[in-house]
Order: sequence, then C-alpha cells, then structure tokens
Amino acid sequence: MPDDAPATARAEEEAIIVIDNLSFSYDGGRTAALRGVTLEIQAGLTTAFIGPSGCGKSTLLRCLNRMNDLVEKAAITSGQIRIMGHDIHDPKVDVIELRKQVGMIFQKYNPFPKSIYDNVAYGPRVQGVRDKAKLAHLVEDSLRKAALWDEVRDRLDQSALSLSGGQQQRLCIARTIAVKPKIILMDEPCSALDPIATARIEELIAELQEEFTIVIVTHNMQQAARVSDQTAFFNMGELVECGETARIFGNPSVKQTEDYISGRFG
Amino acid sequence: MPHILRNYDDELGALKDTVVKMGTLAVVAIEKSVSGLLNRDLDLCYYVIDEDEVIDQHEKQIDEQGMAILLRFSPVASDLRHVLSSINIGRSLERIGDHAVTVARRSRKILKAGELDEVRLVEPLMIEVRRMLSEALVAYSDRDEKRALAVIKMDEKVDRIHKVLAKSLTQKISEGLPETESLLNIIFISRSLERIGDLAVNLGEDVVFSASAEDIRHTS
Repeated sequence: MPDDAPATARAEEEAIIVIDNLSFSYDGGRTAALRGVTLEIQAGLTTAFIGPSGCGKSTLLRCLNRMNDLVEKAAITSGQIRIMGHDIHDPKVDVIELRKQVGMIFQKYNPFPKSIYDNVAYGPRVQGVRDKAKLAHLVEDSLRKAALWDEVRDRLDQSALSLSGGQQQRLCIARTIAVKPKIILMDEPCSALDPIATARIEELIAELQEEFTIVIVTHNMQQAARVSDQTAFFNMGELVECGETARIFGNPSVKQTEDYISGRFG
Repeated sequence: MPHILRNYDDELGALKDTVVKMGTLAVVAIEKSVSGLLNRDLDLCYYVIDEDEVIDQHEKQIDEQGMAILLRFSPVASDLRHVLSSINIGRSLERIGDHAVTVARRSRKILKAGELDEVRLVEPLMIEVRRMLSEALVAYSDRDEKRALAVIKMDEKVDRIHKVLAKSLTQKISEGLPETESLLNIIFISRSLERIGDLAVNLGEDVVFSASAEDIRHTS
C-alpha cells in the first residue's frame, strides 16, 4: 500500500476500513476465532471494540495491521479487509508499509531501551529521514501531539524507561504518530495505568481523533462510552452489534449486547 | 437475566420498592384529602398535612438510592433509564403530595365554613386521578409501556371534568351566592387534582422512557 498510491474510485467512496465477511482461525481453520465479521469504520472516527475475553476483538484488531501474520497457523479463512480501498492481504501489499499506515499501541507500554528522543525518532530514521533539523521537528511535533512535550522537553536524552507508566504509554503514542499513520489501533492502552494516567490517555485520544482514525479495544465500558463515536460488541467470534456509542450504551438493539454492557454476563 | 453482581439487582429492586411505596403513600394522601372533605372529617385533612413529611423523606431516599447505584455500578442502557426515571418519578410524587396537602388545607377551610353540596363535584375527579396514579405505579413496577401510554390518554377525561366543574362553579360565584369563598376553594381543589393528573402523565412518560428509551415528553 504505497503512500502515494492514487486513490481509486472505490477508495474514495468506501469507509477507511472495510471488513467484509471475515473469518479467522489460529489453528489452520479447525476452530474459528472470528466468524463472518462485516464492519465498516469511517475515517476520523474513534471506534471501540468491546466484548468478553476470547470474543475476538483483539484478534480482529491485530488483523487490521496483519500482526497475526507472526502467529504460526493463524490465518484468515474467508473474507477480506480493505484499508483505504486496498485489500491488505493482496500479495503486492508491503506489510511494513501497511504497519506504517496502521500503527498500534499495546496494552503494556513498550518503549525501546533508548533515549526519549531516539524512541520517537526511530520510525522516521528507519524511513530514511537523516536531516537533524527535520528529525528534531518531527520528534517535537509528535511529542506535542502525544501531550508529552512539556514534561520531557528538558530531558530528551534521558532513558525512556525513566518515565512513569503513563508517560511511557504516551511516548509509545508519540512514536507511533512520528511515522504519520492514518489509523491508530489501541489494544487496551490504559489497562496497566492508574486513573490519572488513564484520564490523560483518554484526553489524548480525543485530541488525536481530529487527525487519525482510532480503533480501541477496551474492557472498560465507561472508557468505551467516553472516548468512542461508535462501538462494536463481539461475542464468541461474531460481531453482535455495532452502532453509535450513545445508542449502544443507552438503548442497544440486541438483548445480548444489553446483557453484556449491563453486567449480566461476561 | 440477573446481574453478575447480586448487590446490583438488590439495589435496583430496593429503589423500585421505595418508589412504589412513595407512590402508594401519594395515592392514600389523595384519597384521604378528598375523603376528609366529603365525609366532613377534619382529622383526615390533618393526617394528610402531617404525612406529607413522610412522602418528602421518600423523595430524599430515592435520590440517595439512585445516586448510590450511579456511583457504585455505573448503570447503562435499561438500568440507567430505570434509575433516571425513578428519580424523576420521585420528584413528581413529591409534588403530588404537595397538591394533596393543598386539597387538605382547602378542604379544612370549606369544612369550617359550613356544609356545601357542591363538594360532591370533586369526587369523580379524585376517582379518576387516583386511578391514573395507581395505573402509572403498576406500569412503573412492571415496566409496562402500553399501560403507561393508557395513563397518558386518561388525562383528557380529567381535564374535561375539571373544566366543566370550574365553569359551573364560576357561574354560581357570578350569581353572587353567599358561599363564594368555599366555591372558590372547591375550584382550587379541582385545579390541584387536575395538576395531579398532569403529574401522573409525567410518570407515564418516565415509564415509557424507562421501558423503551423513547422520550415522549413535549411531543404533542
């Protein structure tokens, strides 16, 4: 998926992410982790994936930038994912390029054991940016967007591991932003953080939403209600219901959704 | 299906019990305030005035229970609507209690002034609003949208009875009858009963919201 690929007519019409009847298996097709999931995600929206453990929400998230390629025997058994109009499993797709466009933030913050500056500069350097002034600008811009600049501007050369947990997670977000993705995937990004650090990340998500399409997996119902525009509820590998977040949490259409969000099963 | 947290079900159930109990007290207050007038029983009037404090305390209890549920369980969907509608219904029932007190106070004045046949005119109105409120409480308890909508419809009859009564008594007042003050008090009683009907409509609207998520207030 080259960055400068001409937009096809379909890409212009389509949602930024189109998941079309997707089924997925971790064991070569014997059991399905995802079954016939069809879902569209519009650009500029934050979408929350919710559901009980093992429902397939993280599996689907990891499908969106082909993280599951790294898992032996894991494969899509049917269906397709199109991002910006391109089938991401097309043999012509460069997976590195895909992951540049579709960045990911993990549950456990994972900065490199390098300086704060080098963490953020890592991606642009890999992409060939050598100009020091340009790199410095990219690092500052990314740290500002990740709401971390004011806290670290005087110690950019210090180890990233010296930061608090919440700061390390925001550093990971800055590192992701630095390569200018279109989509940011977040897999339970606050589950290891205290309430204050969680609030900062949530505030950051609201700010990033203006520039990026965000998909977030969360077990925290209130977090999904606070940060997302639309919510998709999964159970046993199937998409049960997807819709505007206010409706899903106020008046879901499917009883299974209501039972889950109101704590009647899980 | 019950909640995984049994306390959650217990507290939602307790909130509902408080609302129904408060509603029952309000129904009794309406009955007794008008009975006091019809049976010339001042004790019933005083009873209603004194008992309003108990109704008021129930409103505070509903607020406390609702807030505790919001705080502890962060309810969503139908649970959230149940809590919100219960708090709203508590407000309406408190105002119904106040109107019953108004009826009792006006009745006391009428009784002290002497006997008057026209007091009988308020009985059909009391019967209708009592029925509305009882039905609204059953609809709340059962989350019965259909029954709640029927309550809302019943208000037309209440408005009609009040209008006829007020017109008739206004006519008598204009004829210069000596019981003018008592006749005016009957009109005020009728007005309070008509307002109780309006508040029962509010209850019906809250039940519809709780049951179906549809906000039908201010739609007609």
